[in-house]
Amino acid sequence: MSAEENPAAEPAPVIDVQGDGRWMSQECKDAEPDVLFVGDSMVQLMQQYEVWREVFSPLHALNFGIGGDTTCNVLWRLQNGELENIRPRVVVLWVGTNNHEHTADQVAGGILAIAQLVLSRLPRSKIIVLGLLPRGEFPNPLREKNAAVNNLLRASLPQLGPVQFIDVGGSFVHSDGAISSRDMFDFLHLTASAYRTISTTLHELLLQMLEEMPQERRASLV
Amino acid sequence: MDVIGASFHNRFVSDSKGKEPDVLFVGDSLVQLLHEFEVWRKLFSPLHALNFGVSGDATQHVLWRLINGELDYISPKVVVLWVGTNNHGHTPEQICGGIMAIINVIHQKLPHAHTLVLGLLPRGKNPNPLRERNASVNALVQAEVVSLSHVSFLDVDPGFIHSDGSILHQDMYDYLHLTQQAYQRVCQPLYERIKSLLDKQAP
Repeated sequence: MSAEENPAAEPAPVIDVQGDGRWMSQECKDAEPDVLFVGDSMVQLMQQYEVWREVFSPLHALNFGIGGDTTCNVLWRLQNGELENIRPRVVVLWVGTNNHEHTADQVAGGILAIAQLVLSRLPRSKIIVLGLLPRGEFPNPLREKNAAVNNLLRASLPQLGPVQFIDVGGSFVHSDGAISSRDMFDFLHLTASAYRTISTTLHELLLQMLEEMPQERRASLV
Repeated sequence: MDVIGASFHNRFVSDSKGKEPDVLFVGDSLVQLLHEFEVWRKLFSPLHALNFGVSGDATQHVLWRLINGELDYISPKVVVLWVGTNNHGHTPEQICGGIMAIINVIHQKLPHAHTLVLGLLPRGKNPNPLRERNASVNALVQAEVVSLSHVSFLDVDPGFIHSDGSILHQDMYDYLHLTQQAYQRVCQPLYERIKSLLDKQAP
């Protein structure tokens, strides 16, 4: 699906309708990240909890998450400066749950487009794509849509090469179909303890990937 | 009200049937997110506080929730109200009017409670119309409540705006929501004020 056919793969900045220009202002600065996290509030909020400092900062991770972002917004950001001057060895991508105007096919296509862009700009990097989490207190259409996106990604991502898909949402839906506010305080965003749960798997995978890759010589040392 | 909002509302109403909070926090995401950080457990849980914050709520949503059950089964001594920053498209006068309407409903339902209204924080990385709007709301609300014995206003901005007019992302990671460190700065004086209000109230 080309960008002309898939609106979810069309780069777009967020238009400031509220009046304080927050989206454009949000920028992330760091020295030389080994790991780049990019996506929506799932990524952004992670940095606000202890788990980021304990688990991911030591990996020299940079957080490019912005709440509300769709695949279009992430695509725009990556094409318009955010990949300049950095060479992370692993890129963790987590986006898609905010693509309300798009079908599951389109969302998966948008995520693929982002992965392709990253690989073209950073040919020696690897990518981890996180599956979209279930959401809403009870079963609802968005859960089905997110699950459909995940199935499509599972099938299509491996073809891109050094891209791995992981679904960390398995433990959140209970046998009665409900999600607990102890895991998602608003049935969308994760609590501190839920982030800890998913971080274990993610951390292990990151360590594995980083170990497999030769470290590039850097011009300056931290 | 959408599905997500209904989820919260129903849970808040049913939660309130089993609990006896002394303090109720009600408002938008600035209230809701507060619950997720250590500062809630350290400062506000010991005060027997309940958190009825819903991300995205504007004054009309909070008003609806309080009229429709969230205050029916509890009698907190202090209600902390923090809402208004999401009232997009409304004038400062309208937002103030919304806040006053909420204060009135609280007083009708809980005649013995004291309402502590928190000032709206500045937002956005650099000076912008929403900062002006929020500051106007604060001035209007402060003037309206000064003559009411059951309400007080507290400005909880510890000085987020720097001399060059900017807000740091170390304080507001998206120039709207507070980081843990920013919540610590906001909550200490808030805690002191709540404590003194609780101490003043008849048991």
